[in-house]
Amino acid sequence: MPRILKRYALDGLMLLPLCLFLLAFTALPLLSCVVLSFTEAGSQLFPSWDNYRALFQDSQFLLALRNTLWLTGLGVSLQLLVGLGVAMILHNLVLGRGLVRSIVLIPLGVPTIVAGVMFTYLFGSAGYLNELLSRLGVITTPINWTQGDWLSLGVLLVADLWKVTPLVTLILLAGLETIPDAALEAAAVDGATGWRRFWYITLPLLRPALTMALILRAIDAFRIFELPLILTGKSTPVLGTLAYSEFYEYDNPFGSAAAATLLMGLIAACLMTYLGLVARRDVEA
Amino acid sequence: MHRAVILLLGLFIGCEQAPEPSHNELTVMMGLAEVEWRVMREQVFPPFEHQHQVRLRGVQAEAPDAAKKLVAMHRAKRMEVDLITQDVLQLAPLVNAEVMEELSAYREAIPATALPHLIEVGTFDGTVFFMPYRPNVQIAYYNEEKFRAYELHPPQTWPELLAVAQRFHAAEGVGRVLVQGTLTPNTTTQVIEFIWAAGGDPLVLNDQGSVEALTFLQQLAPYLSPETRRADWNTVNAFLATESVYLARNWPFGIHLLVQEAGKTQIKAHHGWRGPVREAHVLGGEVIGIPKGARQRELALEFMQYLMSKPVQETLVSSLGWPSFRSDAYGSIQAWQEPYFAAVQEALTQAYPRPQLSYWGQLDRALTGAFREIVYEGQPVQATLDRYHWELQQGRQHNRR
Amino acid sequence: MKPSHTLPWWYGGSLVVALFTLLPLYIMVKSSVSPPHDIFTPNPTFGVSALTDAHWKAVLASETLWPPLGKSLAVATWTMLAAIGVAAPAAYVISRLPWPWKYGVLLGLFASRMVPEVGIALPIAVRFLQWGLVDSQLGLVLAHLIKTLPFVAWILVGSFEAIPVAVEEAAEVDGCDRLGVLTRVVFPMALPGVAVAGLFAWLESWNEFTYALYLSLIDNTLPLQIYYYITRGSWFDSATYATILTVPVIVVTACLQRYLKAGYLAGAVKE
Repeated sequence: MPRILKRYALDGLMLLPLCLFLLAFTALPLLSCVVLSFTEAGSQLFPSWDNYRALFQDSQFLLALRNTLWLTGLGVSLQLLVGLGVAMILHNLVLGRGLVRSIVLIPLGVPTIVAGVMFTYLFGSAGYLNELLSRLGVITTPINWTQGDWLSLGVLLVADLWKVTPLVTLILLAGLETIPDAALEAAAVDGATGWRRFWYITLPLLRPALTMALILRAIDAFRIFELPLILTGKSTPVLGTLAYSEFYEYDNPFGSAAAATLLMGLIAACLMTYLGLVARRDVEA
Repeated sequence: MHRAVILLLGLFIGCEQAPEPSHNELTVMMGLAEVEWRVMREQVFPPFEHQHQVRLRGVQAEAPDAAKKLVAMHRAKRMEVDLITQDVLQLAPLVNAEVMEELSAYREAIPATALPHLIEVGTFDGTVFFMPYRPNVQIAYYNEEKFRAYELHPPQTWPELLAVAQRFHAAEGVGRVLVQGTLTPNTTTQVIEFIWAAGGDPLVLNDQGSVEALTFLQQLAPYLSPETRRADWNTVNAFLATESVYLARNWPFGIHLLVQEAGKTQIKAHHGWRGPVREAHVLGGEVIGIPKGARQRELALEFMQYLMSKPVQETLVSSLGWPSFRSDAYGSIQAWQEPYFAAVQEALTQAYPRPQLSYWGQLDRALTGAFREIVYEGQPVQATLDRYHWELQQGRQHNRR
Repeated sequence: MKPSHTLPWWYGGSLVVALFTLLPLYIMVKSSVSPPHDIFTPNPTFGVSALTDAHWKAVLASETLWPPLGKSLAVATWTMLAAIGVAAPAAYVISRLPWPWKYGVLLGLFASRMVPEVGIALPIAVRFLQWGLVDSQLGLVLAHLIKTLPFVAWILVGSFEAIPVAVEEAAEVDGCDRLGVLTRVVFPMALPGVAVAGLFAWLESWNEFTYALYLSLIDNTLPLQIYYYITRGSWFDSATYATILTVPVIVVTACLQRYLKAGYLAGAVKE
């Protein structure tokens, strides 16, 4: 009897610090943030929809919401596509694979803030991209890449793509390497072309890896912060930078909490929707 | 192997200890760029250090951070800073939290040649909390080469400003005049200047002067540089240096950066342009304060008077391009600096301080929101300003916590 | 063997990818060694025409490099050690849980990743200000652990799952008590996974920006220092500091990439 107790006591002790930490530093602040978002700014009345009402009347917030949704939707799709492409390249490379792999993985380690700095050099009005384009004769007056609207979103998409694709590539590469060569060779023997082999064998077998990459990226994409902060500033707000500027510049922690809570709700909603769809499809299949 | 690990850990634990100030160390908190810190450390600090046998420790903090930090240290009863130079717009939080020492006894230390407005700004309800240090006022930088190429003069009035902007836009296909339009407090400052120049009151926001000012900005909008959206007091220098902008208003610290560091001698400055009623500039700048509980209070008071002294002010003027609060500190400027400082001093005569408000956040939001809707989105001026006037009133009510 | 006519495509593709990846880095490093007139021009050059070490010398000589560097280094290392210390034992326990429980716990760890930093950092910043933990290393380590603990735990669960229970039982039969089994058999076997997870934790803490932004007023970490230079317009300083920040990262990543084998991630993929 005492031995079993001692066994579980040890396990409990090993698990305890993690649970305590997550409780104190994730669950409690989260609750705090949500409660704050429902507290009215002036009178400290709780509960109150005041902050949310103020947010939805603010056109900057609606713009930030739109930008966040676009960046996540387009961004994740692009990253999956490009990541898949790069993974295929790495998978099929025989000579120099190690070198290319090392190069491709570099952005994973580069701090996001540094990535922002680099892309301001590229996308500035007097930046290198404009220089390249004018040398090629494509443009005569410099394009202002970061002035807002779709052009800025494009800049953010490219910067995020650069920074984040290695992670997707890694996951998909791991998935590719689990696909048995035998299946592909058998299909080749049966006369399937490269495309058909890819579409009917590789992709379906890659589903778990794609799903994992999709979920991981979707969660992170909603929370994009440093790149818009540095590259485009106020002209292209996203929910993260909006929450920050509410707190830091306008001294309004209540509005900031509301924006952050909404962001989280958005992430949770998307995740649930996706999992629900996938579960239903699996049930039907 | 284990010993190495323990040694390393010890190193990090050692790093964590807050440096206990040695008996002769004075800690000063300022918000400066790296090049400005260099001048401080190489030219301003050493004479004082020699004279008083003390080491000066500089701590970098932006104005809002400095305010928060001082209040936090005051509450924890551990004041680690002996002296602070603080932006004039961020004084209210410090005074309200009763963090600063009263300096009324040192009124005589202020020289007769001091700029009166800068003294007023440090006085709250008759008590002096801050000593004048350096005023700041925006001047108009312009690219002389480009102006000459198009046979233009730097504009002196609003109609001239509009004409210049239109001319550049027509000739080059893109705007070359800019307003700091990042929708941050930088924008607030420039909008206030336009409103004051038309005789309006930014706190009211829908009076005749404000409407006139915002209408003019709306007229100017199509001819503004696209960099306007990213232009704050920092990036404007880069735009001027890379010549993507030919005319812009900014603080005078850019004189050194543009002419000395970037070598752009074709960029000149003049004091600015008049509106329908007058020429108006927002008086920014910094003042000196001593927090309560400073460990080196006596030394800090000495340093405060040192910073206000004529030789130091002359150094700040000639090495950093900072305007001085003393009109007699312009004696040792170099020849190339003279036209710039002429512009600065002219602008200073038309500079007025912003009112210290507890609801500055709401004011910022109202002014930048109005700017965004009117200038970027082309909304009707009167209706938009009426709406923001109402929102500002609401915000003032809300702020009565 | 792949048919030879597709080979050029793969190599062409890899060339494009490598260029796209390296170009921004090259520009940043070039900016840190270029004289001003090469940068302050509406027509920047792509090649390197003149080199100057003035910016690097200024940065290395100034006093302002070492405090942020030291703080980043210390915080990253402490975070790594704390993350391993807390997450490894917990991950072991989780890996031995029966399936429904394990799924729930892993889902919980995963869910904690969903929380936006701007949301959590807000109440934490307010609280830390009251407790005097702002600007401290301890405060920042705690904040960094919020991101790193679930991540490290998640990776290590996979590592521990790879160690069959039979090994533990064999050691117990040989007379080890439970604690001995863990310290002498299980954890040493998991060491490679722990090392990799630890290095990931170090990297993430070294690069971390958002929590540092909320929780530092005057003592910057290296990424915050770069942000200071960006907002305060020292064009060359920001490029130089950015290069300084990135170099150890590239070195660590290069070492790590050997360990990013299919094995570690495939385990997670199979979930």
